[in-house]
Amino acid sequence: MKFNYSLIALVCASLSAHADVNISGFASINGGKVLSGTGVPHYGVEPTFLADYPIVSAYTEDFSFKPESLIGLQVSAVLGEGLSVTGQVVARGANDYNAEFEWAYISYELNENWTVQAGKKRLPLFYYSDFYDVGYAYVWMRPPADNYTWQIFNYEGINFLYNGSIGDWSMTANLYAGKEDDPNNKLLSDFFFQSPTREIWEDILGGVATFSKDWLEVRVTHMQYTNKRFVGGVASIWDGKDSRDGKFYGLAANADFGDWFVLSEFNRLDLDGNLDTYMVSAGYRIGEFTPYVMISDFKQDGTGDVEKHNTKAIGLRWDFHSSAAFKVQFDKVQDDSYDLAVAGDSEAITFGVDVVF
Amino acid sequence: MMKYALISLALLSTSAFAGIAVVVHPSNNSELDAAAINRIFTGKEKAFSNGNKVIPISQDSATGATGEFNEKVLNKTAAQLKAYWSKLVFTGKGTPPKEVMNDQEVMQLISSNPDTIGYVSSGAVDGSVKVVAEF
Repeated sequence: MKFNYSLIALVCASLSAHADVNISGFASINGGKVLSGTGVPHYGVEPTFLADYPIVSAYTEDFSFKPESLIGLQVSAVLGEGLSVTGQVVARGANDYNAEFEWAYISYELNENWTVQAGKKRLPLFYYSDFYDVGYAYVWMRPPADNYTWQIFNYEGINFLYNGSIGDWSMTANLYAGKEDDPNNKLLSDFFFQSPTREIWEDILGGVATFSKDWLEVRVTHMQYTNKRFVGGVASIWDGKDSRDGKFYGLAANADFGDWFVLSEFNRLDLDGNLDTYMVSAGYRIGEFTPYVMISDFKQDGTGDVEKHNTKAIGLRWDFHSSAAFKVQFDKVQDDSYDLAVAGDSEAITFGVDVVF
Repeated sequence: MMKYALISLALLSTSAFAGIAVVVHPSNNSELDAAAINRIFTGKEKAFSNGNKVIPISQDSATGATGEFNEKVLNKTAAQLKAYWSKLVFTGKGTPPKEVMNDQEVMQLISSNPDTIGYVSSGAVDGSVKVVAEF
């Protein structure tokens, strides 16, 4: 009898060990060039459109497919009883298509409302942060560079995910904690300091809550962290200390009326003073076509030569296939800083195809 | 004769605008309005009002039933829905409903599992399932 039970247990165990493996993925093949631009002559930067800060997707006057093209593969194994394992590998043109694990985590459903996830994930700082790579999931070529100027975009840690409702409102929330130690941060190393820079964000603690009902969606977030930095092996010192605290606040509101939609995002990072960013975009769906406009802005608090830049964009998304979209976008960047200039003024055209599979 | 012709015309036109029936297992007594159905099929609601975990079943995107359901209940085009799910799938926040080929497969699954919910063309409904809403 006892033997029978253990046999049954064995059968059950081997059944649950039989994983249900799903493979999915996304790709974007994007190209573009700067039509005209000032560059930053005093830093030796040629006319450049920096479409993305953390990955350093920089277009120049030479047409290129490299800056923003990417392919991502996700493998997810569902092990039963709420347990799953997910890995996502992304190869970017900006990194010579070297494939890297961007996500690697275990997920366990505690109950119908709560899921706990641990491992390497995307830091859900801005509204579009965690699906930034999945171009198919949003209307533009990319979320606006003026807003998405973060150095760190992944973290290793733990995340509690909540799904539920309050009255007629659906609510999702994330509570997360973790750390990221990037031994050779691309944005800081290649663009800002032009010296190998190790960027550490530790004691990351953050929360995100998203409420949605009918045509309206509102997202609020707060995150705090401690920043340490080594430029060329030398610790950066701020106010006599080798670390500084950053606090991030974000509000996003999206209204979707079917044909018309308006998307917006307002963020503040308090890191030795306030860095304020916003984005407002609107679009109109006409069958398979969605023309849109967007403005985005970055401003450092203070007077004099602060970091200040904005972008105006106009574009079109065409859902020409059930799993693919073509997009084309024109961007006009105005960079108002001198010492803190990023890439100067520019006008650029970019276009591409986003696929999910 | 005239009357019959009118009636059959009326019947014909109903079947042309077949309509969508949202169906559950006959034993399921949960309350389900359009908003709840929308939340279930967009991954925002994971349990029935009776407390049981919900397993939504959708159909291949090429079926007429899916087109009609997406438009009338989810208020989204196929492309919008795909964009919505890609956002969740690649961020570990959700997985789209299990997809089957046609009305018959939905009917089989629903009639055999009390935790499922699906949609079929109204004409495909029989006594093995319970209709909770029609659109």
